[in-house]
Amino acid sequence: MKRWTIVLALATLVGSYALAAEPIKIGALYMLSGNFANYGSASKEGVQLAVEEINANGGVLGRPIEVTFADHGSPDQAVREAKRLILENKVNFLFGIDSSSVSLAVAPVANEYKVPLIVTHAATPRLTEMCLPYVFRTSNNARMDSWAAAAFAAKQPYKRWANIGPDYEFGRVSWEDFITRLKELKPDVEVVSEQWPKFGSSDYSSYITALMRAKPEAVFSSLWGGDFVSFGKQAIPFGFFKTIRFYVNPTGGALQALEPLGKNTPEGMLVSARYWFLYPETEANKAFVKKFHDKFGDYPSYNAGEAYEGMKMLAAAIEKAGSIDPDAVKAAFEAGGGLKYQALEGLKWMRPADHQVFEDLVWGYTKNTDKYPFAILEPIVVVPAKDTIYPTKCSK
Amino acid sequence: MDIGFLLLQFLTGLAYASSLFLLAVGLSLIFGALGIVNFAHGSFYMLGAYLLYWVVRGNPEGLWWGMLLVVALGLVIGALVERLLMRPVYGRPEHYQILLTYALLLVIEDGVKLLFGPAYKSLGPPAALAYPVWIAGAPFPAYYFVQIALALLVAGLLWFFLQRTRTGALVRAATLDREMLEALGVNVPKLLTAVFALGVALATLGGAATLPMQTVSPGIAVEAVISAFIVVVVGGLGSVWGALLGAFLIGEIQAFGVLILPDFAIAFVYLLMVVVLLVRPWGLLGRPPAVRT
Repeated sequence: MKRWTIVLALATLVGSYALAAEPIKIGALYMLSGNFANYGSASKEGVQLAVEEINANGGVLGRPIEVTFADHGSPDQAVREAKRLILENKVNFLFGIDSSSVSLAVAPVANEYKVPLIVTHAATPRLTEMCLPYVFRTSNNARMDSWAAAAFAAKQPYKRWANIGPDYEFGRVSWEDFITRLKELKPDVEVVSEQWPKFGSSDYSSYITALMRAKPEAVFSSLWGGDFVSFGKQAIPFGFFKTIRFYVNPTGGALQALEPLGKNTPEGMLVSARYWFLYPETEANKAFVKKFHDKFGDYPSYNAGEAYEGMKMLAAAIEKAGSIDPDAVKAAFEAGGGLKYQALEGLKWMRPADHQVFEDLVWGYTKNTDKYPFAILEPIVVVPAKDTIYPTKCSK
Repeated sequence: MDIGFLLLQFLTGLAYASSLFLLAVGLSLIFGALGIVNFAHGSFYMLGAYLLYWVVRGNPEGLWWGMLLVVALGLVIGALVERLLMRPVYGRPEHYQILLTYALLLVIEDGVKLLFGPAYKSLGPPAALAYPVWIAGAPFPAYYFVQIALALLVAGLLWFFLQRTRTGALVRAATLDREMLEALGVNVPKLLTAVFALGVALATLGGAATLPMQTVSPGIAVEAVISAFIVVVVGGLGSVWGALLGAFLIGEIQAFGVLILPDFAIAFVYLLMVVVLLVRPWGLLGRPPAVRT
C-alpha cells in the first residue's frame, strides 16, 4: 500500500512538473493598428487557435507555448518592439510580421540576437534572399505568386499587358517578377501601360482611365487590402472589367478584401489566396474552419490560416529538434533535405538553402454564389509547387 | 491625344478634387476662425464614413437621408468637442492644441475599432447611380457627378454664408481680430463653437460622400488628414477658396500627371507643394502673416 502511495506521489510530481514546465516563449509581431489592423488581428487569431490546440495536447517537448503579441507598426517601431521582446521578455522565438518592409528591418535584428524568426505573412522575396541563418518563412512569397500568375498568363492568348500596383517594394517587385517570368514563358508579350498609385490611395479614377486608354487585353495587379476594394468599386462603373479580358491579382483572394466588396465583386478575376478556407475539402480543413468560426465568428482568412500553420510547423520543428536551442531548431528545419510538414492546405517544404517554404498554391476565379455573402473562388485552380521553385542565391 | 479623352481625364481629376475639397475645407475654416491646427480633422472625415455605414445599415439606397443625418451628427459632435475639449486650451500655447487634437485622433481611431471592428467597411452607390454615363464615348461613373455637384453646392453655400450673412461676416471678422469683436459685444465663444461644429460637419459630410466609391477602415484618418494638409498648404491655411483651388490643382495634376509620367505621377503633387512653399509659403490664396510692430 505504501509503495502505491509513493508511485502515485511520483506520478503526480511528474505530471505537475510537465504542467509547471517553463513555457516556450514566443514574441508575435503583427499589424494590430492602423489601416491593416484587420490583417494583423486575423493573423493573431490564427496563432491563438494553434497555441490553444498545441497546449491542450501537452505542449511541445512537454512545455506549454506562451505567446506575447505586439503591434509592429512601422519598421522603426517594429525593431524597437522586437528588441523589447528579446531583451525584456526573453522570448525564444520571434514570429509573424505582416508588412514586407517590417520583415526586412526585423530579420537582421533577430538574426543578430540568434532568436529564430518565423515569418507567416510578409511576402517580399528579398527577405529569404538575405540568406540569414535564423530567419524562416512558412508561407509563400510574392515571387512565387508572380511566377504562378505568369504560368497562367502564358497559357492565355493575350499579348497586350498592363500593370497597376501600389508604389512600394511589394508592388514593384511583384510586377518585375511577373513580367520577367511571363516574357521567358511567352516572348511575344508587350507592356502597354504601368500605373503606380500611392499605397493606401483612396482615388483610382485617373489611373483607371489611363489604363483603359492604353487598351490592354490583360492586366496584372498587386493591389491589396483597402486599395483592392476601392479600386474594384471605382473600376466597375468605368466598365473596366468589361473591356479587360483577363485580370490577375495575387492576394485578391483575401477575405479582408472580398467581404467588404460583397456581391459587388467583379466575377472572373483570377486571384490567389495562399490559404483558402474552402480548400481542400478534407475533414481536417472543415473541422479547422468550423472551430475558427465558432471561436472568432469569422471564416479564417488566408493569413489567419498561414499564421495557424506557421505556429504548428514551428512546433513540429522544435519537436524534431528535441530542444529550443536556435541551432538545433535551425538544423531541424534544414535536415533531411528540409522539413516537410503536412499542413491543412497541403505539404509545406522548407528549402534548406534560403529557408523559404514551397507548397502548392491555391488560385481561383471569383464568383458570387448564394452560399456566402461574398465572392468565393470557383473554380479553384492549384499551381503545383514545382512551378514556383525559383533559383536562390543562398547556398547550403 | 483626343479631346474626348482629355475631357474624361479632366473629369476624373475633378471628381478627386471634389472629395479633396470636402475633406479639406473644414480644416481651413477652423484654422481661419479659431487658429487651431486640427490634427483630428481626418478622424472626423473617417467618422462620417462610419456613421453613414451605421445609419443606413449597409443599404446603399439610404445614402441621401443618411448623409443629412451624418451632417447633423457631425454638427452635434463638433459642438460638443469644441465646448468640452477645445475651449479650455484657447489661451494656451499652440502645442497644447496640437497635442490635444492629436490625442483626439488616437482616441477616435481606437474608438471606431472598438465599435466597428478593424475590417474594411464598404457601401455601394445607390442602384440608380451604379452605372456609367457616357462621356465622349467612354464610360464615367455617374456617382462622381453627385460628388462634384455636392462640392460645388458646399462651396456656393459657404460663399453665401461668409459673404452675404451677418454671422458669416462675424466669422470673417473673427479671423482678423477676435479681441475687437469681443469688445464690440459679439458672443465670440458661441461663434467659435458654431464654426468648429460646421468644420467638423463638413468633414463628416466629406467622409460620407466618398464612401460609395471608397472604403473605410480605422487607419484612413491619418491618410486623410495628410491629404487635407497638402490641400490647405497649397491653397492657403485659413482660406476657404484656397481649399477649393488647392483641391482643384491637386486633383487635375494627379489626373494629367498619370498620363505624362505614370512612373512618377505621385511626385507631381509634392512638387507642387514644394514650389508653393518656396514661392508663397502662406499658400496661393492665404494671407501672409501680419508683421507685428
